[in-house]
Amino acid sequence: MTEPSIKLEDWAQGISMRAGPVSLGLYQPSPETMEYWHGIERRELMLRQCPACQRCFHPKRIVCSDCGSSELTWVRASGRGSVYSFSEIHRPPSATFATGVPYINGLVRLEEGVHLFTRFIPEPGPVRINAPARLDFRVLESHWLLPVFLVG
Amino acid sequence: MTGKLGYSAAIVSIGRCVTKRDDAAILTALQLGAIASSRAIQNAGIKRRQIGAFFTGRCPTSYRTLQYNQTLLNELKIAPVFNTEVTAHGAGALGTIELAVLAVNSGLVDYALCVTNEASGVWLKDKVGQNAAGESNPQFEAPYGPTTPSLYAQVACRYLHEYGATSEMMAKVAVENRHWALTHPHAAMRNRGAITIEDVLNSRMIASPLHLLDCAVNYPGGISTAFIITRAELAHNHSNPTWIAGFGQQTTHEWISERMGAYDLDVIGHEPNLTNTGCATAARQAYEMSGLKPDDIDIVQTSAPFSFVHLMMLEELGFCKKGEGGPFVMDGHIDFDGGLPFNTMGGYLSFGQMAQGLYNLHETIDQIWGQAEGRQVPDAHVGLVHGHGGILASHSVMIVSRERA
Ligand SMILES: [Zn+2]
Repeated sequence: MTEPSIKLEDWAQGISMRAGPVSLGLYQPSPETMEYWHGIERRELMLRQCPACQRCFHPKRIVCSDCGSSELTWVRASGRGSVYSFSEIHRPPSATFATGVPYINGLVRLEEGVHLFTRFIPEPGPVRINAPARLDFRVLESHWLLPVFLVG
Repeated sequence: MTGKLGYSAAIVSIGRCVTKRDDAAILTALQLGAIASSRAIQNAGIKRRQIGAFFTGRCPTSYRTLQYNQTLLNELKIAPVFNTEVTAHGAGALGTIELAVLAVNSGLVDYALCVTNEASGVWLKDKVGQNAAGESNPQFEAPYGPTTPSLYAQVACRYLHEYGATSEMMAKVAVENRHWALTHPHAAMRNRGAITIEDVLNSRMIASPLHLLDCAVNYPGGISTAFIITRAELAHNHSNPTWIAGFGQQTTHEWISERMGAYDLDVIGHEPNLTNTGCATAARQAYEMSGLKPDDIDIVQTSAPFSFVHLMMLEELGFCKKGEGGPFVMDGHIDFDGGLPFNTMGGYLSFGQMAQGLYNLHETIDQIWGQAEGRQVPDAHVGLVHGHGGILASHSVMIVSRERA
């Protein structure tokens, strides 16, 4: 597997992931999230924002849950945040991820007020609730280039 | 308004079919569902053409069909006028019964058949990989390598941080669950002996702060449970109707990271968080509908695949104050010897988890009718059953009673 380059015309084919004999399904960047994935290729973390109320949202949002607007725009995150929750994984979901154990997944609270699921890397560490976290990009065990957060 | 629904319908028949991995003939989810349903119809003493409503939980993961509700009704040769799958994760299991109460009270149908069935323990070997695929967002979570324990662990991390609960408090639940499992003929851990808090803390770390013995055991086989529900006037024609005193359900999100995008909702509060769940809303509605309060409940089953979830649910169900689930269990309030009868099959941690479990409701009804051989709780007349699914996304609560209020 190689690092994917996402094209809109490819989205419905997805990218298959397996855990032993079991399919983990297709990771499918889809038309409404394509800009998030293009942002990652530029090493930028993109969020959704409502132009009317300025509130920022998870990149998957389609409508504003404050004013109902469906005209959300894309905005680049500052990359600064803090650890909201985390877990150190010792039992991986598949052989693919076994090379990385133990690794830490969790929720980061971005200064824009959005929470994202992510990988926390203890550089310098340690990972604990409310510790400052800053954006980086790494190719993880899934062979995907993904936004991660360095903690400490 | 909800007062009218309390005690308005009853469960008048149950059918069950269980298969274990060691059985000579291993049954599929569809076989289990068809056999349990047929038993429920026969036990009710009604004809299949009297089944007006037919509600199933979500399609079994081990038996995928596009319209599973139709797959099963096709086997039973019934022709309901109101049928659908109820897919609020694990909460959809009790959701089928809630829908049945509404259906029989509408007068459009007399009898409703509700069924859940699953056999994934037999057919899907890699539950860790398969569950992670089903319980994480394919774009925004799965590429990071989450497992189901690690997704629930996000909530555990916050719960321990916000309320000062400890690993010992979580472990205590696993210890008490195991005691009950040793008394149940179908429990996965029936022959594995008692465990101590130290055993739990010394078991290997799966996803911090969850040790192996903090996690549910996948049920080594398959289970189907089927119920016939009818309204009060017809229930009186059947022996031993179990009254549905009250119920409630709430769903707040899909994936765990999306949960933190939910805000300004009554159950959550103004700020997003992971530790207020829909269980509190579901419980409040069930208590209001039934006119009962936590003190009136004789026996409780919670749907909790990890030890800390039991602590949270004890709080949200009103058995103790928010944040006091840990001290509550450490003080002996759910002890096998002398505490509130709690997860009398052994819970998901020691009976085993079989998706879409209506078997918790079956157990409760066995207990309140004095039919729980070898593990009978004395004088249990009112039981509460909690169902949940997703990463604490959907919750159902149902209170059942031997007597009609
Ligand atoms: Zn807006």
